[in-house]
Amino acid sequence: MDKIKVENLSCFYGGQCVLESLDINVVKNEILTIIGPANSGKTTFLRTLNRMSDLNTSYSRKGTVYLDDENIFNMNMEKLRKRVGMLFAMPIPLPMTIYENIVYAPKRLGLVSKKNEMDAVVEQALKDASLWDEVKDRLNSSGMKLSGGQQQRLCIARILAINPEVILFDEPCSGLDPISTAKVEESMIELKEKYTIVLVTNNVKQASRVGDRTAFFLMGKLVEIDKTGTMFVSPKQKQTEDYITGRFG
Amino acid sequence: MFKLNPKLSQKISYSILFCATILAIIPVAVIIFIIIKNGASAITWEFLTSMPKNGMRGGGILPAIIGTLSIVMCAIAVTLPIGVCAAIYLNEYAKDNLLTRIIKLAIVNLAGVPSVVYGLFGLGIFVMFLKLGVSIIAGALTLAIMELPVIITTARGALNSVPYSFREASLSLGVSRWQTIRHVVLPNALPGILTGAILSIARISGETAPIMFTAAAFYVPHLPTSAFDQVMALPYHLYIISTQIPGMPKNIIFGTALVLLMMVLSMSLIAIIARIYFRKRRKW
Amino acid sequence: MKRKIIDTIIEKIIFFCGILAIVFVTLIFGFLLKEGFAFFKEYGVISFIAGKLWYPTSDPAQFGILSMIVGSLLVTAGACVIAVPIGIMAALYISEIAPKGVRDVLKSFIELMAAVPSVVIGFVGMVTLVPLVRTIFDLPTGLTAFSGSIMLAFMAMPTIVTISEDAIRSVPWSYKEGALALGATKWQTIRRIVLKAAMPGIIAAVMLGIGRVVGETMAVMMITGNAAHIPSSIFEPVRTMTATIAAEMGETVRGGMHYRALFAIGLVLFIITFIVNFIADLFLGKSKK
Repeated sequence: MDKIKVENLSCFYGGQCVLESLDINVVKNEILTIIGPANSGKTTFLRTLNRMSDLNTSYSRKGTVYLDDENIFNMNMEKLRKRVGMLFAMPIPLPMTIYENIVYAPKRLGLVSKKNEMDAVVEQALKDASLWDEVKDRLNSSGMKLSGGQQQRLCIARILAINPEVILFDEPCSGLDPISTAKVEESMIELKEKYTIVLVTNNVKQASRVGDRTAFFLMGKLVEIDKTGTMFVSPKQKQTEDYITGRFG
Repeated sequence: MFKLNPKLSQKISYSILFCATILAIIPVAVIIFIIIKNGASAITWEFLTSMPKNGMRGGGILPAIIGTLSIVMCAIAVTLPIGVCAAIYLNEYAKDNLLTRIIKLAIVNLAGVPSVVYGLFGLGIFVMFLKLGVSIIAGALTLAIMELPVIITTARGALNSVPYSFREASLSLGVSRWQTIRHVVLPNALPGILTGAILSIARISGETAPIMFTAAAFYVPHLPTSAFDQVMALPYHLYIISTQIPGMPKNIIFGTALVLLMMVLSMSLIAIIARIYFRKRRKW
Repeated sequence: MKRKIIDTIIEKIIFFCGILAIVFVTLIFGFLLKEGFAFFKEYGVISFIAGKLWYPTSDPAQFGILSMIVGSLLVTAGACVIAVPIGIMAALYISEIAPKGVRDVLKSFIELMAAVPSVVIGFVGMVTLVPLVRTIFDLPTGLTAFSGSIMLAFMAMPTIVTISEDAIRSVPWSYKEGALALGATKWQTIRRIVLKAAMPGIIAAVMLGIGRVVGETMAVMMITGNAAHIPSSIFEPVRTMTATIAAEMGETVRGGMHYRALFAIGLVLFIITFIVNFIADLFLGKSKK
């Protein structure tokens, strides 16, 4: 079943086309990874899915994106972002305590109000992001004092606390060491039980490790999309083969 | 032409630069020193809390102190909320188009318009056109408009110092724009806004030209009872007693200058120290 | 739901304040323009700007402000000659040579200097500098453009030092490293590389300093003697545009010709400072790139 369906989507920055007539779908509870060199339009695509790209005034687009058959461009932006969470390339904990970081959005969105509800949300979210054991004794220290990998998992927990349906990962491991990367990848695989995941990465090996399906973007166009196993063994396009074997990018 | 050894030339140049620095700060230090030395003897409890006597040649300066405080407090009460809101609007909401850029430019440049021009404006608009008369309220509004560009500029600086990524993170969680500003941006910009506000209070406390024709009076025998009263004000009082009254005892003039100077400097010092403290504590 | 409504109301208030601030800004300019133009229409721009005589109360009244423009320029130029070299050198010392602790103290002190009210500076100048100038140069009066320039130089100093210092410090470290690696001494690096790279910011600092001096009112009114004639040397009393407004506004008939002439001076001042600040802004923008 399709969770997200993209029809004929084109995106522009200041009139320049960065993504051209894209048709793609994301199946419920899968991890779709998107690979491609810099400037291939993959991050623009991701930021269109929760309309973060609307913040940029020079951005414009054509086409439609459906989330459960509902056109996201007609939806209330806050409601859309509550359903489609996003993890950025750099971990961005807000300048507050670990506890406050997690209850911040649920409180603002009116999902929780009582102290015991908040405690429960914090514990569950941190457990799901496999961070609970590391921070349970210092929930009231600043989120900015954690290590890079812990910060990124805190950001995952922060998204889980608002209970989204889709989570977008924008090169979430680009600044992390291999051990932290492994931990983040581990939680991604656990998360797909409950959530639908779109992962943008420039790390081809990461795509092969976690992706159910992989899409290859090049110069604003979707070149190929297939089951990850199939694509990495026998890519149909020459460009895909060149990219995943490391001949460019 | 002979050439100096580079090491020696560096030594000489450093000494010259050092002397220039001393030259830059000594005069004002000397001014402050002169005022403290000559004015300290005049400062008594009675001087601060009583009315002037004998055509201002005796007694205290209470009405001038009260007058300045009331004008300045009214001014900041008007200008701070409007200025901060305008800064939020320009920084967080306004679309980045030509009009916005022109407005931002105009505001930055208005901060450099001479205070006496604001005095003229206040006289024309508040005293005459709106018929507020020469009063606390007219003077306060004049100072408020004068300080508005400064408040907007410092508040925008404080808002800008909060990383854009914090806003993005908050918005990406489905939190609305205002909630993001209220709970993420403003708490982190507040120290900067407040220190800016204190510096503004200090600055307008010492301004003479804008209140000369809009609020200040030569002599008022009673304390102000309403916002529509004329008042005495410290800076204007200092101007009057040092230029217009023959045979004025020197120590009263210096005492008045000292009170004004201490008021302004202590507030500025508080703001500067607060800023250093907040910078050290900043979390990012 | 209630929260949504409150949010919307607050946003509306913010929009309103933003627009209010913009209205005020246009109001000031519009108001001065209106009053100034009413005067120009009656008296003529040329005879106002280039007229040598200022007899606002005689009959027929004369409203030539050339002597005041010259007065303002003379005092400003004098202040710049003193404040610009000293200010830039001090900025170089503070940003490049002083140890960090000293630098922080100096910067805070200079910021404090900026807060000293001009009426206080004027008063101290009156009782100390003015008699001194009179005796040293053996003049009939110490209330001269020269005395005014000295006091105004002190007032422009904080602006020039602070903004130049920012510009000098924002010169990328890699520039200096390059020169130092080639064997230049630190001073050679500062003189040839740092100063050149920071030049746009320093020019902006000087412009802002000039803006402050041109607009300065109380200190000049108390020190420069206020004689409305074109001076032949810097040791004569002069009268500036700002001082004229401040000294005469209290005595004019509201709405009369003299009153409007003062507004016209205000308009000239407004335009001069706006241009000066605008140039500073351009250079600041350049130095940020």
